[in-house]
Amino acid sequence: MKHNTAGKTAIAIISALMVVISIYPLVYLIVQSLAPAGETNLRLIPSRLTIASYIKLFTSSGTQTAFTWVRALLNSFVVCIITTAVSVVVGLFTGYSVTKIRGFQGKRFIRNTLLFQMFFPVVMLLVPRYMLLKNLSNTYTGMLLPMIVSTWAIFMYINYFNSLPDTVFEAARIDGANVLQILQKIALPSTKSITTIVALTIFMNRWNELMWDMVISPKEQFQTLNVLLSTKMNMLTQQQGVLYAASVLLIVPIAALFLAFSRYFREGINFMLK
Amino acid sequence: MSPKKIRHRKYNRRENLVGWLLNLPYLAYTLFLFLIPLIWAFWLSAQDWNLMSSSPKFVGLDNYRKLFLSKNVHQAFVNSFRYLIPVVLLCLVFGLLIAFVVNALPKRARGVASVAMFIPYLTSGVATSVLVKYMFAYNSILNQFLRNVFGLKISWFTDKTAAFCIIVGIVVWKCSGYYALFFLSALSGIPEDVIEAAQIDGANRRQINFRIRIPMMLSSISSVIALAAGLALGIYTEPFLLTSGGPSGATTTWTLEIYYSAFTKFDSGYATAMAIVYAVEIFIILKILDVVMRRLTEKFGC
Repeated sequence: MKHNTAGKTAIAIISALMVVISIYPLVYLIVQSLAPAGETNLRLIPSRLTIASYIKLFTSSGTQTAFTWVRALLNSFVVCIITTAVSVVVGLFTGYSVTKIRGFQGKRFIRNTLLFQMFFPVVMLLVPRYMLLKNLSNTYTGMLLPMIVSTWAIFMYINYFNSLPDTVFEAARIDGANVLQILQKIALPSTKSITTIVALTIFMNRWNELMWDMVISPKEQFQTLNVLLSTKMNMLTQQQGVLYAASVLLIVPIAALFLAFSRYFREGINFMLK
Repeated sequence: MSPKKIRHRKYNRRENLVGWLLNLPYLAYTLFLFLIPLIWAFWLSAQDWNLMSSSPKFVGLDNYRKLFLSKNVHQAFVNSFRYLIPVVLLCLVFGLLIAFVVNALPKRARGVASVAMFIPYLTSGVATSVLVKYMFAYNSILNQFLRNVFGLKISWFTDKTAAFCIIVGIVVWKCSGYYALFFLSALSGIPEDVIEAAQIDGANRRQINFRIRIPMMLSSISSVIALAAGLALGIYTEPFLLTSGGPSGATTTWTLEIYYSAFTKFDSGYATAMAIVYAVEIFIILKILDVVMRRLTEKFGC
């Protein structure tokens, strides 16, 4: 639709405003994390840029060792990568089996189970899960288990495979291919876009998770970066630069991942809507 | 039996087996990490047990009675609606606004803008809380500016309304861009000829937007309303980190109260009972929203 010049200017201004509001907090975090120690949070534009805050993140002082934050970062990565891998695989398997395997009798049962699961908010299972996995607190297993399978991912794959026409699958069946071969040679190669968006979303949600990680790993060595920052946030009130640097560390990996895969992601959103 | 029939049956059995094998991980997970905890939750809600002491004590519906009388739970219940309405409305309005504006941008700018709008959604609640905590701290740039220029002395986190608005603001800021992407996608699915026909018939832009575009987007609007409602009902990170439930419970939420009961007061049965009541509330609210949106779509949608 064509707009007149006044309309175009208004649109340009509003969109510039929206972009600024969206991005400015992140920019503020980055800028302040690069500010010299005495100026953090007190000046809009620091007098000079320095990585002193980041260096402080990785040196011993007070209760933290040189590895405190690095270890937390590592914990986050390990937990997220494993969760993403398992969720994607399980989503793929379950989604494919429920939609494209003609001889599978359990389709209705699985679908009903999935719908049933959707009704319950996660927090209802918080205490029972904790009691179940109490002995696994402060271990990767304990951190991973409750969120290692994602029903959302399964739904995404079900919708995706449903949108693929049956013809190719039928042709392969007639040619004698068995189910696993069809999965490997026909279903799998086409899932690049959907897998990208599922993987990115699961990674991000696991990375940003606070509740379960806080509950299951009270010991600092096993805390994820998210949890560590949440505990330090009210302790290091005099070292705001460190907190800002840690926040940047928390946001940048996710942003980088999404930007790197933004093309697949755009296609995925269009698909998700339908 | 003819050979064809035998082959057909054998095929089904093998396919069936493979199907079940492929579902084994999901089923194992559902059994051990969903079903068993779920049943345990109902049993637990009828016990008085502090997680560490020797054995639980059966108290029947006592936990439920306690929580219906608890001031904290009342506050969480009231707040669930206080959060629900602004969050859903603002997310809807801003999401639509962003989508319409971005849709009107030239193609290249559109890509950049969508990416920029999406970034808040990626941020962790903890990182934004760190940012907000110090941005609104007493000596921060913002507060100094407000004091020097406007003479405004707002104590952001100890004033009930201010703290509440901050949290709503954070949540809306985070998700509007994400919802805008849904709307953008729906907008681009509206065929151009419909718009052109309307233009030929003399409709101005506002009429086109409100009488054609939005009705054609009702399905994505319903989805976003449901998502935003789920989001609003599940808020907890920001109140937890910024206000600990707010000046006398002004910003507390169900999830926060459940967490406090379970892990600060160690009253696990009570917390689980709370969680069950909370789940019922969510179900009812989402069901009502679903029915309302469905009626609206029937009446106004295309």
